[in-house]
Amino acid sequence: MTTARAEEAVPGPGKGSGTAFAARTRGLRKVYRGTVAVDGVDLEVPEGAVVGMLGPNGSGKTTTIRMLLGLVQPTEGEIELLGVPVPGELDRVLPHVGALVEGPGFHPFLSGRENLLRFAAAEPFLAGGQLDGAVSAALERVGLADAARRKYRAYSLGMKQRLGLASALLAPRRLVVLDEPTNGLDPAGTQEVRRIIAELHDNGVTVLVSSHLLAEVEATCTHVVVLNEGVVVAQGALDDLLESGSPTLLVSTPDGAWAVDTLRDHRIPARLAPDGVRVDITTTAPATVIETLVRAGVGVDEARRERTGLEEAFARLTHDVGEVVGELDADEPAVAQEGRAR
Amino acid sequence: MTTQGPMALPEADAVPSGVLPDRRRAPITRLLRAEVRWIFRRPRTLAVLGLLAALPVITGVAVDLTMDGQGASAPAGPGGGGPGGPGGEPPIFVTMATSAFVLPLGSLMTLLMLLLPLTVAMASGDALAGEQSHGAMRGWLLAPVARGRLLVVKAVGVLVVALAASALVVTSGLVTGLVLAGTDGLVSMSGTELSVADVLWRLAIAVAWATVYLMAVGAVALAISASTEHPMVVVVSVLGGLIVSGVLMQISALDWLHPYLLPTSVTSLVDLIRDPVSFDGLGEGAFRALCYLAIGMSLAYARITTRDG
Repeated sequence: MTTARAEEAVPGPGKGSGTAFAARTRGLRKVYRGTVAVDGVDLEVPEGAVVGMLGPNGSGKTTTIRMLLGLVQPTEGEIELLGVPVPGELDRVLPHVGALVEGPGFHPFLSGRENLLRFAAAEPFLAGGQLDGAVSAALERVGLADAARRKYRAYSLGMKQRLGLASALLAPRRLVVLDEPTNGLDPAGTQEVRRIIAELHDNGVTVLVSSHLLAEVEATCTHVVVLNEGVVVAQGALDDLLESGSPTLLVSTPDGAWAVDTLRDHRIPARLAPDGVRVDITTTAPATVIETLVRAGVGVDEARRERTGLEEAFARLTHDVGEVVGELDADEPAVAQEGRAR
Repeated sequence: MTTQGPMALPEADAVPSGVLPDRRRAPITRLLRAEVRWIFRRPRTLAVLGLLAALPVITGVAVDLTMDGQGASAPAGPGGGGPGGPGGEPPIFVTMATSAFVLPLGSLMTLLMLLLPLTVAMASGDALAGEQSHGAMRGWLLAPVARGRLLVVKAVGVLVVALAASALVVTSGLVTGLVLAGTDGLVSMSGTELSVADVLWRLAIAVAWATVYLMAVGAVALAISASTEHPMVVVVSVLGGLIVSGVLMQISALDWLHPYLLPTSVTSLVDLIRDPVSFDGLGEGAFRALCYLAIGMSLAYARITTRDG
């Protein structure tokens, strides 16, 4: 990811004091009837970045996005969007924000074009004469120009999703918020969404995209925010996050449980994974780990150092999947299991 | 990550907020046009309006045939008869049912009992709950259209439906009457002849009054619509409300309650057939409708501004 330092390229505010944020929250909290959906979220979306919001279902991604956009009132906390407090000055910010939240929302009896025209009419910065052109351009951009006159009812899931994307891009935006934009898209559609995100990024538009697909985020984003159970568990530049994972040693052993017990007795953090025992070697040398195991009489077939990819980081940050999966279904790799659980 | 702090004062124009252009809103006429176009593109709206236009024709033709067959006493026709309130509906239908004056008024009164309020309830249900159920409400809120403004746009949409529906019923009745009976039978209940112009302005008043009445229903329906995402709930609630009101109106022990029930007003439309027109009942009915309107719109506003989008 070489595009990480894109802030400089942004034509935005020419102030010298540090990074500007397209979106920022402080202590954001949302409680729905006693259930805490989002708790103490301090989100930072640098201007010009493509920020991936990663987390399993129910981790608070959508709720956070809905609060950012003023669709839901936060229970507590402050939000700033494009430098302006929200929801206080929502009406001022939203024209410059494009959003696709919780899937596309259109009427089946209208064509794709008519549906878009309706929302284009509500765009404050589109003059009356520009509406048709803006709608055509947006449809063109998401590859729906040919299907523009077909009824929304007859659209495939992917086409509906594209139309949602088109409505987010009706007017020039400074921030585009996409909630799971590749839902229902085939690989070609996914590719196209990536292209659109890259295009927005090149134009200096900040993009906040939520996803539960790690590959998606790794492929498109410069920054990542990982949410779990309503709490931000990690955020920062993608490269940093990839490197920040603590190094681990994967030990293959016939006596996994015994090995974990032994290591924990020696205050070495370890946990059972489907493919062996994963040992945290931030503070312990690999040699010590093996020595400890061998001394205790645990058989060691193989030990190798692991690079902590975002997948591993994600799995580790959000859930101790390794352990759970290890117990339930030792044949499945942890990540595949994660993916399917969605 | 600089400690710029969350103290973005509203007046701190110079720094970050100066970057954003000034506030701007999409012109309301544009929103209204989009709304009206959307309403009349909906197949359901067109189907109901078609039905409403057809009913006076069916009633007129049916009554005409019955009367031709021999001054029969049983008024036929799907629109006629109905749950029949007080106010001498049967005589109207039997004697002058096909006149270009009575047919439109009679049809309007009959349809105001149920079908017209349901039409308006349907429009109100689609206006907010329907948008919500399709996820299209977010589109408006994110554009952004302020919630209060959105309610105004939606209410105007319902008003247009109410006006179109009542005007359609009256026009259809008027035309049917003119075809069947020409300008014969343009007489008041008191027996005086009425000029065509006189009839037209009385019918215009009827349409205006019906629109106000229907907007009262529409406002209450909008309040319900703002609280649910099932348009059907809105229609069913209005239907239930009308039926319950109808039942309560039959119970004489509840006399004291009747002035508070919206459908109490409908029969005052008969006053338009009298000569001279008595505006007491119509005025009272309009006032009652406006009270419902105010309450309904307030509730709808309270709900739409606080609901999650």
